[in-house]
Amino acid sequence: MHHAFKLGDAEHNVELSRSADAYRLHLGGEVIDIDLKTGADGRAWLTLGKQHLEVVIATRGDDVFVHLDGEAYQLRYEHPLDRLAAQSGTSAEDSILAPMPGSIVSVAVKAGDSVVKGQTLLVMESMKMETTIGSPRDGVIAGVSFEPGQTFDRDALLLSLEPQEKAA
Amino acid sequence: MTSPSFPTPEQVSAWPFDCVLVANRGEIAVRVLRTVQQLGMRGAVVYHAADRGTAAVQMADHAIEITGGTPVAAYLDGAQIIAAAQACGAGAIHPGYGFLSENKTFCEAVEAAGIRFIGPRPEQIDLMGDKVRARNFVEKGGFPVAPSAIEDDDPASFVERARAVGAPLLIKPSAGGGGKGMRIVRDLSVLEQEIERARSEGQRYFGDGRLYVERYIENPRHIEVQVLGDGQGGVVHVFERECSVQRRFQKIVEETPSPALDAALREKICETAAGIARSIDYRNAGTVEFIFGQAGEFYFLEMNTRLQVEHPVTEEITGIDLVAQQLRIAAGETLGYTQADVTAQGHSIELRIYAEDAARGYTPTTGPVLVLHPPQGEGVRWDSGILQGGEVTSAFDPMIAKLIVRGRDRADAIAKADRALRDTVLLGCKTNTAFLRRLIGHPAFVSGDVHTGFLDANPQIAAEPELPMQTVQALLAAASLSTRPMRDMADSVPDMHAAMGGWRN
Repeated sequence: MHHAFKLGDAEHNVELSRSADAYRLHLGGEVIDIDLKTGADGRAWLTLGKQHLEVVIATRGDDVFVHLDGEAYQLRYEHPLDRLAAQSGTSAEDSILAPMPGSIVSVAVKAGDSVVKGQTLLVMESMKMETTIGSPRDGVIAGVSFEPGQTFDRDALLLSLEPQEKAA
Repeated sequence: MTSPSFPTPEQVSAWPFDCVLVANRGEIAVRVLRTVQQLGMRGAVVYHAADRGTAAVQMADHAIEITGGTPVAAYLDGAQIIAAAQACGAGAIHPGYGFLSENKTFCEAVEAAGIRFIGPRPEQIDLMGDKVRARNFVEKGGFPVAPSAIEDDDPASFVERARAVGAPLLIKPSAGGGGKGMRIVRDLSVLEQEIERARSEGQRYFGDGRLYVERYIENPRHIEVQVLGDGQGGVVHVFERECSVQRRFQKIVEETPSPALDAALREKICETAAGIARSIDYRNAGTVEFIFGQAGEFYFLEMNTRLQVEHPVTEEITGIDLVAQQLRIAAGETLGYTQADVTAQGHSIELRIYAEDAARGYTPTTGPVLVLHPPQGEGVRWDSGILQGGEVTSAFDPMIAKLIVRGRDRADAIAKADRALRDTVLLGCKTNTAFLRRLIGHPAFVSGDVHTGFLDANPQIAAEPELPMQTVQALLAAASLSTRPMRDMADSVPDMHAAMGGWRN
């Protein structure tokens, strides 16, 4: 059974199996003996082959946060079923996601409006700067998620377009 | 008293207040409360529900909830804050920085309610808060200012006069600060377009669309000078801070002394700042900011009539508690010391820990603070308002902590800063600590050769370096062993190799 983690923009396929007294990581063509011993204060010792590395690990849902050698990293566990769905997924252009956290300055459209590619849909503010969000394609607005003044996190769904109609 | 020492209990007992309310949040609320409580007074704080679990609310003797349409709006609601101060018997209000710290109307309302405003007199806020009036005032006093065009002088000819200043130029909102709404124009053909954009931002941020433009000094350094005035004729400077490393006009790393100044230039710029403060008989801690050209020329930029984010580096090299000095001054004491009594030794650097992704254009990040182990050690100071178990949201500014180090000299301070950044464990929300380590390790920073456009000119510092294979392996190993479905699956499969044990090569 393949598992996968997203680290930055890269996806890594891994497998985990038992060894006699710990675990083995299967990565690419390599098999590495690994183990993790957690201390009381959250600090832990990771065995990687012959090395022992001090780490701090925290998890939340599918996110794993690791402090290693003075730096913090985030990995996301990709569920096998979600990955399958993503491969046959719908058009990403139907959903307009927030490129960064921020707040809404103004909304130029409402559900049902016809828009053309590049048309201003809304103006958001983040990092003390205004950013204009334009339509990724021609279409009809299916819904607007926020009102002016409201805040949102990165990747929040700001607006959605009606799914692309099939050519008649 | 001959040096700016910490007030004694006898001194404090004579002050006209014994409880101070902090009209702010985050790390600065914690910072101010610490000194208030060290002085034996009660410290109070107002908070919006979004800040309920923060350090300031936990340490305050009184924490009073305020409400608003947005969390930020609550901290801008002067009437609620004054009512909170009255409710807990606070005889003084410390505004921190940002929010209402430079709001004349608030200052007047506080004093009208019979409460001491720990800040300047209202007319001083008014003068320095209007960048145009401040600039004109400073120029009339014979202090250096950069070539500029001010819209208010004659709105009809503003665009033409702006054009005459020449490219590159910088457009700024008259009522602005903190880099909001500022735009650099290198190509005069887009001047009018950029003016309209800046006007719209100024209108929205400050309710004031008036602008001014000034010559943009290429590759300038940002050097500012800390001043203290008692409003009774006493003014000293507390040396300079260099804040040249910025992204989007906002400071990230500040230090003192500035590596750009020799003794003569240091005295000149510090004395200029003190002279400006003296010319208005300034009351409170304040900061005079200068733009500093590569040839050593400097121009007045603005004066901030409040405590500055980066004030700790000044405290670290002088041993002066600037908040305690603000409180003394607000209580009506005179400085009681002269310029010669203000001395410094060593080198201090502050690194602003931001919840942001440097590699993605410094965009803010959000998330829970699952683990927080602040760095420790001699010469290491951690000023923060967040706690483990808290949450970083997009409701407020992304600065979540300040790491301040003090060393024998600059090299020692840089080495300490790198160690402390390495020791900082903060999991759950991406921060800029790895970026800061790359930044302070960059040869240009190490040699002190930086300017405000340094990061734009060196985008590779912000980019995520490719991870060594061994790091990737370690991370995947740690993640795999921490992911329940993977462990469960591995544990449930009776592995042939595991069963047969010693068949490993």
